[in-house]
Amino acid sequence: MGSPAGGSPFSSVVKRPMEPKPENYSTINLRLTVESDRLSLFSSLLGQGFTLKVRTGCSLRELLCEQLGVHADYVDQRIQTIFLDGKTVDDVDTAVIRQESTLALSAAMPGLAGATLRRGGAYAAMRRQISHQNTAGHNSVADGVVMLKLFNLVALELGPGFLKQGIWIRGKHMENFFKKVPDYFWPGCRAAEIDGTPLKVEEIRRLEWRHRQVFLKLEVKESG
Amino acid sequence: MDKLLRIDMGMDGGPKASEEPLGDYAGLAGRGMTSAIIAKEVPPLCHPLGKDNKLVIAPGLLSGSHAAQSGRVSVGCKSPLTGGIKEANSGGQGAQVIARLGYAAIVLEGKPGDDTLYKVVINKDGVEITPDNSLKMMGNYDLIDKIRETYGDKVACISIGPAGEMKMAAASVAFTDMEQRPTRHAGRGGVGAVMGTKGIKVIVLDDTGMPTRSPKDPEKFKAANKAFVQGLKKHPITGEGLPSFGTNILTNVINEAGALPTHNFKTGRFDGAGNISGETQSEIMKARGGMVAHGCHKGCVIRCSGIYNDKDGNFVTKRPEYETVWAHGGNCGIDDMDTIAELDRMDDDYGLDTIEMGAAIGVAMEAGLAEFGDAEAAVNLLKEVGKGSPLGRIIGNGAAVTGKVFGVERVPVVKGQALPAYDPRSVQGMGVTYATTTMGADHTAGYAVTANVLNVGGSVDPLNPEGQVELSRNLQIATAAIDATGMCLFIAFAILDQPETFEALVDMIGAFTGQNLTADDVTELGKTILTFERDFNSRAGFTQKDDRLPNFFKEEPLPPHNVTFDVKDEDLDRVFNW
Repeated sequence: MGSPAGGSPFSSVVKRPMEPKPENYSTINLRLTVESDRLSLFSSLLGQGFTLKVRTGCSLRELLCEQLGVHADYVDQRIQTIFLDGKTVDDVDTAVIRQESTLALSAAMPGLAGATLRRGGAYAAMRRQISHQNTAGHNSVADGVVMLKLFNLVALELGPGFLKQGIWIRGKHMENFFKKVPDYFWPGCRAAEIDGTPLKVEEIRRLEWRHRQVFLKLEVKESG
Repeated sequence: MDKLLRIDMGMDGGPKASEEPLGDYAGLAGRGMTSAIIAKEVPPLCHPLGKDNKLVIAPGLLSGSHAAQSGRVSVGCKSPLTGGIKEANSGGQGAQVIARLGYAAIVLEGKPGDDTLYKVVINKDGVEITPDNSLKMMGNYDLIDKIRETYGDKVACISIGPAGEMKMAAASVAFTDMEQRPTRHAGRGGVGAVMGTKGIKVIVLDDTGMPTRSPKDPEKFKAANKAFVQGLKKHPITGEGLPSFGTNILTNVINEAGALPTHNFKTGRFDGAGNISGETQSEIMKARGGMVAHGCHKGCVIRCSGIYNDKDGNFVTKRPEYETVWAHGGNCGIDDMDTIAELDRMDDDYGLDTIEMGAAIGVAMEAGLAEFGDAEAAVNLLKEVGKGSPLGRIIGNGAAVTGKVFGVERVPVVKGQALPAYDPRSVQGMGVTYATTTMGADHTAGYAVTANVLNVGGSVDPLNPEGQVELSRNLQIATAAIDATGMCLFIAFAILDQPETFEALVDMIGAFTGQNLTADDVTELGKTILTFERDFNSRAGFTQKDDRLPNFFKEEPLPPHNVTFDVKDEDLDRVFNW
């Protein structure tokens, strides 16, 4: 069930500009050309969260399907565990996205904990203290920014689409990624550019990222 | 699987093995068998390390057959950790081999008159019990290497490490996996200490020449098993999530929920969670030539385990599970996967419950013995346990003892057993189960969803906030029943989401046993097991006041949601009203 009919989980190409206007940070544009079999390595980075410029005040379904172009079937079938500001969402039609919300998306999880956190699941009562309270009817639509976190299978499936469009991430997460990424990433990272200037791939590791806001965009090449 | 094997270690003239028919225990398996024998034969007020306690090792109902996912084994006794009845279960090869040897249970009883250590060998020709003091204080890995030299690489082993020999209350019983490594453990409750009191270091199981168990209706069984496997493979959890990320797929999600106990249950979020998540873990394993999807026993098609290698590509341990990653990771403030893998390897080698050890080290850190996040200190504390130093013996006896010795108030235990990796303030329904289960705080209500499928105990509105007691009751009934089948807990979602997979499971059990299983049967079996266990605990001195979480869960708000556990005591006392 990776996506409807095994195709892309996106129903349309995401055209919305992904970048918010970062404040209080110096910014840097990083463009990497990587082989496709290295894409899964970015899952850990996607789980740390990246920011998107969106229209807030809408339902979660509207954000995912209409603004981000995720296929409705994918939302209904694949994304089984959702957190909005750390609270478990049961209904994507009534949960409302607010300015600077943090939204985390995951596939279904195993075990009792997984059953409990599953949206609309049979054991939702067991975590009522952390359930998101529906907020439909109080919408105030406006331009805003949200943080999106992608976990597990959802990161593998939706992640490449976002990475190719480009994502804003915190420099400390970028630095941690380059520090911890397995060594086999580097031979598959074919090229790098910073603010439009090419540089040697191995130099990326030595740069100071911590106090920056990074716009990361990937170009993906077939492996081999 | 029509007989019991009893090994009496306290007989005059030395240990003696005997076989007997199942009698009143006919039809029981797994937890149903262990709890029935303990409840009937063990005096509830006996000392857990004394001659009157028994250690019962029982495979599941379908173990030893070709049924997929049927390789769980239950280990039962009066627990040295809780003082109550205990069932701890494990994967590995043990269940399949014991069942093929024809035993519904192996019962270890009595106590040797001296400290001689024994080796037990069971094969088609019978049972041989021999003294072997050369095995003393041997770690599980060296022990199995030595056994392999004599008995080859086809036998399965059940063993204890130094912790079991030292009778620590956190000692586990190890079961070898498909590669004959001692990586699978009946971890909880100190079952390894009870095996230690019996003077048995290792049981070598050789099923050479023994047939696979046959179903009553082979054709129907084969078809049902095939449909069951197809159902597991096509489901996103059992077919994709678990094989890709293992159980540690939960770290990021539980952390996001604010339910990941961090720094000895001080907060519900861990900043370093991303570094030890299932996603990160899988990439490390792949990069080092490890195996991301791997079964813990023959017949496993989910393959949630894996092989974790070091930077040079050498085997360290199996894929550390979510609970282990939490216990040694977030709970102790450690965000380094290699350290967690090293601690997991040490736990397996010494023969220790990873949950209890992580919790005890967390309490030790709270006491000031080390700083949270100090990975080297955590490794050194665990080495003390392996050495059996005075400090190590304190920690090796679990979080409750560690807290008492060092004067710590925040000690996360129920009935003396450490809570697992889900904070009950965030997921309060799990707190109800932690508080009231017969086992001490226990997370293995993994068959949860079967309660809903089977409508066990009636239908409960999932969004009704008052429904948590009813949910917990139903979960515990269903869990007790399904624990008796020996099926892997992760089949749950596939049978919840796919009616045809649930039907296949029911058909498979029916075709194997020749009896049709109904929801009423499941409910009754679950209630019967829980009744045995509750009765034993009551006679052992447990009362309603033991069915409580520590006070700090009610008093200390848990960030980031700042929630406390607010289920009333009188509601907890209603859980077993049926």
